[in-house]
Amino acid sequence: MHTRDTDDFSDERDQEILGLLKDYPMATADAGFYDQALARATHEGSRRQRNRWLMTGFGSAIAAGLVLWMVSGVFLATPDLPQPDASIPGIAMTLEEPRTVNLVFASATPLDSATLTVTLPDGIELAGFPGQREIAWQTSLVEGKNFLPLELIALTPVGGEVLARLEHDDRDRTFRLRIEVS
Amino acid sequence: MPTRIRLLIRMSSENNSATFEKLVQPHFDRLYRLAFRLTGRKAEAEDLFQELLIKAFGKLDDLVMIDEPGAWLSRVMYNLFIDEQRRFARRRMHTVEEGFLPGDGLEGFAGTDNPEQDQRRLEQLQQLDAALAQLSDEHRLVVLLHDTEGYKLEEIHKLMETPVGTVKSRLHRARARLREILTESGTFS
Repeated sequence: MHTRDTDDFSDERDQEILGLLKDYPMATADAGFYDQALARATHEGSRRQRNRWLMTGFGSAIAAGLVLWMVSGVFLATPDLPQPDASIPGIAMTLEEPRTVNLVFASATPLDSATLTVTLPDGIELAGFPGQREIAWQTSLVEGKNFLPLELIALTPVGGEVLARLEHDDRDRTFRLRIEVS
Repeated sequence: MPTRIRLLIRMSSENNSATFEKLVQPHFDRLYRLAFRLTGRKAEAEDLFQELLIKAFGKLDDLVMIDEPGAWLSRVMYNLFIDEQRRFARRRMHTVEEGFLPGDGLEGFAGTDNPEQDQRRLEQLQQLDAALAQLSDEHRLVVLLHDTEGYKLEEIHKLMETPVGTVKSRLHRARARLREILTESGTFS
């Protein structure tokens, strides 16, 4: 922890000062402080965030152009694999090793009663839904960016395409993610 | 026929909060320590910590794409602290400077079973506290981060956006000044 990368403190007196510095007291957070701070931040932050998020769209409240497939926090503008079709992002997965994909949906307005349907290729499952090839949710979107993490598991080395279809009223948008398994 | 399961999920603020918590929570202790070293006082440290979280949540779409969220959060906290210092300096221009009172910062002193030894140690730490108060903010921060918190020069360079050479020079001067003050004060008999 205290590996020194300078050598000023060379004699005994200096070592005593260094010892004092290492012992310099530190306050500790009270029980519950971190939880309270998080709760305040997400409440206050949500209120401020709505004024700053960019809204895009093409005549629709569902801003499909801003759906970013993000894998473990890495922006998929530089995806793991070279792609024959540059418009379909891809990820690489390791057999039987879960990997979380964060779907980010940006909406210009709040949307109630949207339906999100995730369709999985053979050999890819969503954690918590064993054997299910298609899972659908009734969901609401807030104005701005909405995050949905999906934990995927590859059970066979085949791979394929995951589809996420967002429907609201008479509008829909389908997003594709290519998965290769090693 | 694939099974369709219809679930009610609020894919909105709850998931944003969960994503945010997952990103920041591993760094809480280190950030709390940084806040305390920057401000020197628990109440102010907690205000700074809170302000950081509010700001970071507002930048969640940036935060999820960052490789080293801990370093990013530390830098945001440091910049918030500097901004507040500048605002405070402007407000205080026409008042008398209170200074950093010796002994004020010694929250968290942990004693042992030996009261005499504890008393001696407490006195030394209070003298260290007073000596640190005589350093400039930059010198105090560099020596606390490096020698107390164990930050490497490279980490301090990234945090303060100051060249490594300058960090090293400040550390050297801070240590020399501390040595001078503590020797003069008779901290070590």
